[in-house]
Amino acid sequence: MERHQNSVMRTPLNSVAVQRRSKNKSYRLSYRNRIGAASRLGLTPGLTARRLNTSRKAPKSNKITVTTEQLTLLVKTEWKLSYVTPLYRFRHTQLKIYSRQLSAFIAAEKQQGLAVDVEGTQNTFRVSFSLVLGMTESVDDAVTVHIQIHSKPLFAKQDEPQKPVWSGWLTCINGNPEYLRSLPKDFICLPLFCSSGAGGLTSLVKSWFQQSFDCCFGPLEISHTSLQWLMALWTNCQSESSIRQLKMIWTLPVEPQLQVTYTVDAEDAWELWSSVRKKNTAGEGEENSIDIEEVMSFMQGLKAHFFRHFRLDLSAGSLNEVSTALGSAKHSGMIKFSNSKYMITTLMLLTECALLKMPI
Amino acid sequence: MDESKKRLVQRLMRKIPTKMLKTTLEKWGRLTGEQQRAMDSIQSKWALTENLLAICEENELAVKHLTELEMIYMIDNPDQGMWYAFQLTDPGDDAQSVDLTQFKEQFKSHLRELVREVSIKIKKHTDEAVWIRIAWGDASSHPDHLKPTYVVHYLQTPYVFVTRLTSKQKPMLSQAMVLSTRYQYFKDANLSGRNLTAIRDLLMRKYQQVFPTKYPSPLTERKQTVTNPHVEREQAKPAANRLQMACEAFGGGTLPQLQSAVYKLETKFRDHTNTLMTEREEPFRCVVKFSSTNLLESLKNCASSGIASTPVTPLLSSIPLKGKNYFVITDNGPGPSSQMRQTQN
Repeated sequence: MERHQNSVMRTPLNSVAVQRRSKNKSYRLSYRNRIGAASRLGLTPGLTARRLNTSRKAPKSNKITVTTEQLTLLVKTEWKLSYVTPLYRFRHTQLKIYSRQLSAFIAAEKQQGLAVDVEGTQNTFRVSFSLVLGMTESVDDAVTVHIQIHSKPLFAKQDEPQKPVWSGWLTCINGNPEYLRSLPKDFICLPLFCSSGAGGLTSLVKSWFQQSFDCCFGPLEISHTSLQWLMALWTNCQSESSIRQLKMIWTLPVEPQLQVTYTVDAEDAWELWSSVRKKNTAGEGEENSIDIEEVMSFMQGLKAHFFRHFRLDLSAGSLNEVSTALGSAKHSGMIKFSNSKYMITTLMLLTECALLKMPI
Repeated sequence: MDESKKRLVQRLMRKIPTKMLKTTLEKWGRLTGEQQRAMDSIQSKWALTENLLAICEENELAVKHLTELEMIYMIDNPDQGMWYAFQLTDPGDDAQSVDLTQFKEQFKSHLRELVREVSIKIKKHTDEAVWIRIAWGDASSHPDHLKPTYVVHYLQTPYVFVTRLTSKQKPMLSQAMVLSTRYQYFKDANLSGRNLTAIRDLLMRKYQQVFPTKYPSPLTERKQTVTNPHVEREQAKPAANRLQMACEAFGGGTLPQLQSAVYKLETKFRDHTNTLMTEREEPFRCVVKFSSTNLLESLKNCASSGIASTPVTPLLSSIPLKGKNYFVITDNGPGPSSQMRQTQN
């Protein structure tokens, strides 16, 4: 089916009414409609029954092949996480066209007065899409796409360059191969969406993606289990590069709310972590994988030490934030990579969380 | 008018909110009736500042009059900025007999001996508190009135509360206090917070205390919630016990408003299910910080709702008991700045 001039391609909800020139009948339905037709098409029924992996490989200081300038775009910023369903007919080769289309879309929305004004910037926005090569882990992963929106500050002079006011990126790191291979040909899966910048621009970008590629966005929270995984995975890196400290922020449900910040010295956290690890059963030269039981024992140990002193059970509260020198993660769905070395492992975990949110 | 006076007036006007201005100026009493009325009629802060600058010129007010104004405002609104508590220890024989005039004279003369250029103002407030405002200078500069230190001392008690104090200024203040009050040492009491009234009440026990009682507690639960009558009947006694113990540990009624408590733990790892770690000789170093808009209220609710086991652990009940909110906890004996002995579980 050819793409016409209009960049906004809407797939009608009732697919029967539209005649598409596609050879294969099953491609008539858009991804969103598959929710109703899942049983007929037999798409990955097993995904909803899946859970977060109960065992992972320990993070290694990856020899990341991403260029340093691209890395600086990704580290040291706090990103808001969302999940996004697979994109229909997204082409990595058409990035320039997408840049123009998104700029035009933002301008059009502003003219209509629908968009929220971005504080302190002028009205002209320039969008740039780029590929971030070198971040994929498996053959099935799609290449990461980075988007940046530039604008001039409100009282800038004529010749002052535009500055980036919003960035975002879509990625898939070590996505579940079964799921990825089960997707129909025209779909690209980049389930993890990270954004940083004005909320108004984020919603505009999401709307454009939804209209252009028939996908859905949703908030991605970092569950308690995932936060525990991050604590363990980051602490595991202590032997190679210091995490400086392991900091946890809990909130207890009393009136007025009580916040507990529990910070453990790097060396002591490492010793506790090592003491709960099971014996190394992997072969020579292979890294032992980490099991969820070890992670839970680690957490249990920290809680028990706390309890012995304060006789206050942290389980009564909720873990809101975990941070080390490698990065920080918040339950509300915010992540920050302070160090690019172990970024890939964190992204693998987050990709898994995003994939679990897929409607089918 | 010279720059420093102008800056002082501007700083004062920024600090004092418009609604408090009228009363503060009236208490100050250095404006004529007409000038006062003129100030009352102006609304904008900027115009008020300009007007006050003009009045100061007119009345030929000096820096010392302006600092008076600042002090009046501070005394009426002490619950801002950070206050740090100190304690005087080892009183001499005549410590109790130091009276106000003696203290004032001695403090001024001792501090002037130690710091060449210093501006001191002492005022006694109605509730037995002596307020001292210190503007520090040195051999090469005049006293800096933009960064004063406020000291509040309750005569006949060993307690002193201080706002900002640099490490250079501390020994001099310490020496002056010790000599004028006839104590031996001026120590950090490990208690800090934003509300002067709160930390004062905590340290001097001016809040409703609840004592252990063998008989059914006369305290009733303040919040009445609708619950299942069976559950209520079953839980009535344990709930009442928890509430009683929570109040014994932290106090009844309105509790002093503390914002945080920090515990630096240097004890061995404690968890009998993990033998590897418990056998370790070195301490498990961590820092725990509790924070809330009203910390004591939160902790009391933790105890009464069962989140914290009762009887309340000495670590937590030490906050009101010892009037401290910074603790270093070690396994054996008192740590360098605490008197906590870790109980063996």
